Amino acid sequence: MGLTVLKPGVQATLQAAPRRGTRHFGIPASGPADPISMALANRLAGNSSDTCALELPFGLAEFQFDADCAIAITGAFARVELGGAEAPMHETLQVRTGARVSIGAPESGARVYMAVAGGLVADDFLGSVSTCLPAGFGGLSGRALRVGDRLEIYTGKDVTVLKTPPELRQTLSHTYAVRCVPGPDAGMIPDLSAEQEYTATRRADRTGIEVTGPWPELQHGSLKPSAPVFPGAVQLTPSGTAFVLLPDSQTTGGYPHVLQVIEADCHLLGQIRPGDRIRFIRRTPDQAAEDLRRKTEFLRKWLPDFCF
Amino acid sequence: MAGHRLFLIGDNAVAIQPEDRLLRHPLARALRASQDWIDVVPGKQVVALQFDPLQELPSEALQRAADWLDRFQPDEITKGSIVELHLDASARCAPDLDMVASRNGMTAADLLNRVIGSELIVDMLGFTPGFAYVEGVDAALYSERLASPRQRLAAGSVGFVSGQLGFYGLSGPGGWPIIGRLTETLFDAARDEPFLLQEGQRIRLHLVDV
Repeated sequence: MGLTVLKPGVQATLQAAPRRGTRHFGIPASGPADPISMALANRLAGNSSDTCALELPFGLAEFQFDADCAIAITGAFARVELGGAEAPMHETLQVRTGARVSIGAPESGARVYMAVAGGLVADDFLGSVSTCLPAGFGGLSGRALRVGDRLEIYTGKDVTVLKTPPELRQTLSHTYAVRCVPGPDAGMIPDLSAEQEYTATRRADRTGIEVTGPWPELQHGSLKPSAPVFPGAVQLTPSGTAFVLLPDSQTTGGYPHVLQVIEADCHLLGQIRPGDRIRFIRRTPDQAAEDLRRKTEFLRKWLPDFCF
Repeated sequence: MAGHRLFLIGDNAVAIQPEDRLLRHPLARALRASQDWIDVVPGKQVVALQFDPLQELPSEALQRAADWLDRFQPDEITKGSIVELHLDASARCAPDLDMVASRNGMTAADLLNRVIGSELIVDMLGFTPGFAYVEGVDAALYSERLASPRQRLAAGSVGFVSGQLGFYGLSGPGGWPIIGRLTETLFDAARDEPFLLQEGQRIRLHLVDV
């Protein structure tokens, strides 16, 4: 059983749990850019949180199913059609053999997630099936979906219709407040204010998002010896902007690392789209761990196995 | 171990900066073997240790790293293993070799002999998947990045900028002058051991006859 890609969207990929213990080979973690939304979709499809599902940046995708199965669509709010009729997000959908599911373009938020009961079959590499686009492995031959691709589905258990509890549905706007701790080069931005708005540019993909604003200009020679960086790192660039790293980012970098988005808020980065405004709120590292504990506890009431 | 700096680089990673940067390699090996950290990643000066802030506070992870370092004996240092690799420096594989050689006022053959005669060590992997920074190239040799990067290099291409070689694990864009190509496959996802190289390994280069 499986589904066929009629419209592939833009850089749609198969994602699951991140890859761990591979960064010293230059291999990023990959995994969903918004892991909460993917976990919510999987929950509605009767799967564990990190079961392989589809990440659909900017929606605009259409699939045809060749088996009866349950699916669920979450993430950035988009119009969903099942067999030509409008269907809800955040609710288990029963799809019949031959039916088409189409996903429109979200007006706010960047990524839509579609989970299928049983999960999607994907290539395993180093303990994870998540697609790593820069290196070309995992997922479906390590690449984004194309028209005509066929995705296999594992046999799932019977699923009752579920709806995401309203308090867990993210309302995405065009303004994001992300909490940060200082990076090793935080001394370069002593005046960072939580009131200051920064703006995401069009340079955005699964490796990172460019953010403009009143960043300090890099002086000649302010490049640092290459240092390890993790998703959530905010690095200043020579063009006077900053780059916020996402799951497919490079593992080391020489640009000044001034802030680190806390682990509890990195999922927000996956929904920021060009033109959205961002404020950076300072936390201490131990406060950030408390933020993570609280958010995880809240999510686990509905997603008992969820991990950031 | 004394003389190091230890600091947080976020809410989920600690960095150790040893006084002698060459200690990064035995440190990384020992820390990885301990299986106490999610990822152990060397940079040019530090080794970063990733932890789960849900399991311990960042201040606790910092203390755990400090305690571990107190017990770490730098005299246990062993040198990395030796990896023998073969370099094809024919014109097709080494488009910038003649340019780099003439900048150094020597023949291509002399330049290559100085490079392969150097004590080469894999300093770190990073930048892009499988890219290896190999240090130790004869300091008398000069080379700088190309004015504009090439759009596509073959996997295995060997770039040279003063002091270090860059082994491109994947095909893709690259800005280093290319002086040859390795005949070995550095990265192959289908192989049991997908990566040929790891930080701290010593490299012995052999020229292949073409």
